[in-house]
Amino acid sequence: MFDKLKIFLRDIFRNRAMLLMVLPGALWFLLFSYLPMAGTIISFKQYRYSKDGFFASIIDSKWVGLDNFKFLFSTSDAYIITRNTVLYNAAFIILGLILAVAMAIILVELTNRRLSKFFQTAMFMPYFLSWVIVGYFVFSFLSFDKGLINKTFEWMGMERINWYSEPSKWPFILVLVNLWKLVGYNSVVYLAAIMGIDRSLYEAAMIDGAGKWKQITNITIPLLVPVISIMTLLAVGKIFYADFGLFYQVPRDSGLLYSMTNVIDTYVFRGLKINGEIGMSTAAGLYQSFVGFLLVLLSNYIVRRKNKDNALF
Amino acid sequence: MRQNKSWMMLLAVLLSFSLLLGACSTNGGAKETGAPAESGTGGGNAGKDETVELSWYTIGTPQKDVNRVMEEVSKYTAEKIGVTIKMTQIDWGDYTQKMQIATSSGTPMDMMFTASWAFDYVQNARKGAFYEIDDLLKEQGKGIVETLDPAFLEGSKVDGHNYGIPAKKELPALEVWRFNKTLLDKYSLSMDGIYTLESIEPLLKTIKENEPDITPFAITKDYMPVLPYDYLISNLPMVVSLDKGDYKVVNVLETPELKAALDTMHSYYKKGYISPEAATTNGLDDTQKSGKWFLDRAATTPFADNLWSSSYGYPVVSTPASESMIFNWSVMGSMQAISANSEHPEKAMEFLNLLNTDPVLRNMIDSGIENVHYKKTADNAMENLDDSKNYDMPTFSLGNVTLTYLNPGDPENKWDEYKVFNEAGKVAPTLGFNFDTTSVTTELASIQNVKGEFWSALMTGTVDPNEYLPKAIEKFKAAGLEKVIAEAQAQLDAWKAANPK
Amino acid sequence: MPVKKPKRFDQISPAANFLLSLLTGVIAIACVFPFLFVVIISFTNEKSLASNGYRIIPKEWSLEAYQYIFRTGEALLRSYGVTIFVTVVGTLLSLVIITLYAYAIFQRSFKYRRFFSFFAIFTMLFNGGMVPTFIVVTQLLHMKDTIWALIMPMLVNAFYILIMRTFFSTMVPTAIIESGKIDGASELQTFIRLVLPLSLPGLATIGLFNTLGYWNDWFNALLYIDAPNLVPLQSMLMRIETSMQFIMQNSTNASLSTGILQDMPQDTSRMAMVVLATGPIVLAYPFFQRYFVQGLTIGAVKE
Repeated sequence: MFDKLKIFLRDIFRNRAMLLMVLPGALWFLLFSYLPMAGTIISFKQYRYSKDGFFASIIDSKWVGLDNFKFLFSTSDAYIITRNTVLYNAAFIILGLILAVAMAIILVELTNRRLSKFFQTAMFMPYFLSWVIVGYFVFSFLSFDKGLINKTFEWMGMERINWYSEPSKWPFILVLVNLWKLVGYNSVVYLAAIMGIDRSLYEAAMIDGAGKWKQITNITIPLLVPVISIMTLLAVGKIFYADFGLFYQVPRDSGLLYSMTNVIDTYVFRGLKINGEIGMSTAAGLYQSFVGFLLVLLSNYIVRRKNKDNALF
Repeated sequence: MRQNKSWMMLLAVLLSFSLLLGACSTNGGAKETGAPAESGTGGGNAGKDETVELSWYTIGTPQKDVNRVMEEVSKYTAEKIGVTIKMTQIDWGDYTQKMQIATSSGTPMDMMFTASWAFDYVQNARKGAFYEIDDLLKEQGKGIVETLDPAFLEGSKVDGHNYGIPAKKELPALEVWRFNKTLLDKYSLSMDGIYTLESIEPLLKTIKENEPDITPFAITKDYMPVLPYDYLISNLPMVVSLDKGDYKVVNVLETPELKAALDTMHSYYKKGYISPEAATTNGLDDTQKSGKWFLDRAATTPFADNLWSSSYGYPVVSTPASESMIFNWSVMGSMQAISANSEHPEKAMEFLNLLNTDPVLRNMIDSGIENVHYKKTADNAMENLDDSKNYDMPTFSLGNVTLTYLNPGDPENKWDEYKVFNEAGKVAPTLGFNFDTTSVTTELASIQNVKGEFWSALMTGTVDPNEYLPKAIEKFKAAGLEKVIAEAQAQLDAWKAANPK
Repeated sequence: MPVKKPKRFDQISPAANFLLSLLTGVIAIACVFPFLFVVIISFTNEKSLASNGYRIIPKEWSLEAYQYIFRTGEALLRSYGVTIFVTVVGTLLSLVIITLYAYAIFQRSFKYRRFFSFFAIFTMLFNGGMVPTFIVVTQLLHMKDTIWALIMPMLVNAFYILIMRTFFSTMVPTAIIESGKIDGASELQTFIRLVLPLSLPGLATIGLFNTLGYWNDWFNALLYIDAPNLVPLQSMLMRIETSMQFIMQNSTNASLSTGILQDMPQDTSRMAMVVLATGPIVLAYPFFQRYFVQGLTIGAVKE
């Protein structure tokens, strides 16, 4: 017993520099993340206010077991929203990854540095626009009578399309808009990672007579794998969360498109608009986190078996 | 070398401390915004001769001069009833969310704005956000009871109790057809005989044929036909007939009246009277600004035509499209409630009583400081001064509007007209009944999603009701509408037994 | 091959360069265009916008929208001040804390690295939701209506810590740290003199993300700020945006339609707000871009 304590104290002392380094961050996590986590208890309660404040309210509120989770599974919509959320996110993860990495590599390889820098800045621009503004912009393209696309169709003698009532078109539109908005932002990470690669590796390859393509496939991409796998693992943890603005503002909340645009977050938003039960919204969040957590554990396990260094933990 | 290590330690320790210190030091800093008067924390020691500070949350774009005006207001109220006022304004779009967080986290407050359309009065009363004021109304709130039409307090009861004070303003809801008068005159059309949805067709036809650029019938995604039914929850399909007197809860989508209205709307849509984008149109701001519309529908108040005309910059005229009806939601158009955790509910009620009965206080809250923000032109009339742009308040959200001074251009008989308008309203059968949704929240969540999917498309005539109406009915059933209707019926029956008319 | 120019291995061929430039150029234009559009709309005459819709070259230009916003005068300037302060202080503090944490869990010699990695990751997957966080910030830390409420809740982010950790592991060869230790350098010396210069692109990335995060944040202000003098820029924009939507959605409400609608901000002023709120931060990218430079080799550091 005493020995154990001694070993523990010795370990602490040996790691003191590192422990001090994590201290500020760890404190923050305790205060701003772990402490509020206790609040998830609300998801099992029918939350009612007590005049004596928040804690009294929690204690006085009635336990309702899993009732708050029911609305997520009760109808046929449950399947649609889960399918939409997961499939869209899968598309965003895969296509986003390919595009971001490709863009990063291209931008590094362009001969004209100034042009490359300009392109980088340009691609970042959509990130600054809120979804509401993006929604307006998309509307200026897809509007039935004033939209750019329908005007073009008309001019070419083609039939106009009422975009906001044709669900089948929306998977493409949403994926396209999302990629457009985030490719610049996402490629920054890969751009930085490429910049961090030791130049001497390329020099050595060139001496061996490797062309540019070979250098990319044999040096750049393999060295990007750790970053890629971390980014992907993190995205997998969020696979049950959808970007509310993208799925609500961009399709203008058009009911006829729900089969292709309703995701967990929009469903919860609409469903709780009237009662605003915080027990139910907390429950929805817990459900999303929990599934994400399981998926991360699973994929981390797989990654870890292949290469320990690429795993999250 | 050693030195460096300690440097790093110092850095990390400092950072950790600054995290904590930053947290704690603000403790003191937060207080300085408070008014000089006693902060309400003193508990029950607020005796007769001590002033207490009341915090008041209201809706509307925050105004620059709020604190300045509230200082003046506090001087007045401190003398009259021994309270000072700290007003916090929260912008329109943020109000509901912010107040929900504030109430559910138990943030100390005294009074707040609530309504059927922002920070929902009924739901939050049930959750325990508001102080029950039945007794206070008999004591400190006597003046309010005297000045209000009884329908206001009757209609805003939740499970038999009052939790909020409705502002005295227009009481019933009256829908009108609004016309762009320029076009009406151009084609010498007349509003005579216009009342039903069918009656507008010949006019729409004329406009469609002659004015290709004009939207004949301008509607948004929230458009709903006027039906002889009362919605238990606004825009959800559980309704009770207004004129049958049978107190039977039915699904509005299954009523013949709705089917007929939707058929007409769809035919209008096909004939091009309605914009192909109506089902996703949020507001008609652009159309109204440019005047490219002929007809739409709106809820009215006395002299609304004048207000509309002056704000659009061209004449607008209107004619009724519905009966004048007093619904729960029209009664709850603007209310003030006392917070459940208020330390001074009696004082708060005294203040609200004064606000609703005392013209001096009411106008100070509404228009600011005399000779700074406005000047009086007669006993009951005023004129805004330049500084009024720093204190521009939404009049209807701050209590009894009939106490406010007339603005230039207002008719002398403005408030008499309100009286006439209010007296003309018929009482809806379910006035005072509020559906308690606690036992059907799960179903309601699905129903609202189904509603989102079909409602706008059907109501705007965008889709063929013969195809989509059965689909919608089917999906509502699957979402549990029948259970909700049964629950509503049970509650309605119990309410009716307890409140025989 | 003496006749031809020697094949250059360190560059792509001119043909490939041209094609790729063209491709990225098209994408870049597609990305910049909407932004230009926003700028143009903000200078369009409101009336002509309402009747003609969005146009690339408006029928009538106008400065009305900006005049409308500048009417608020000092409020706008104060919002700029709040946003800039929060962004600068927040980014710096955040960068230090994140880098320290990431460096610790990157080091193999750290016994508790797996624990602290998980400690961070777990927070990314689970959160207590809005109300409990609100309670901690307002009732435990008493930060309501203080500038710290805009900085502290976003200070640390497990996502950035993990990216930083990965950057360390890809950019910093372990040999360097070892060599530092052999030379007898302290942890801090190794960290500052050897590790940080090698991870400049990583630092720039996290710095950039932090800057954007703070600049674009409006939600913390929505939750914690009532005092008008502490409202950041984005929050001001968001307020106008949501209030406009709210009022429009309630336009059937008689009181609102007769009392409020005429005072509503217009489409053009909304776009002008976007221009004012994003204009300065667009310059942030080129600033951080300077650190995305190649050529910091081990040799360069060793000198």
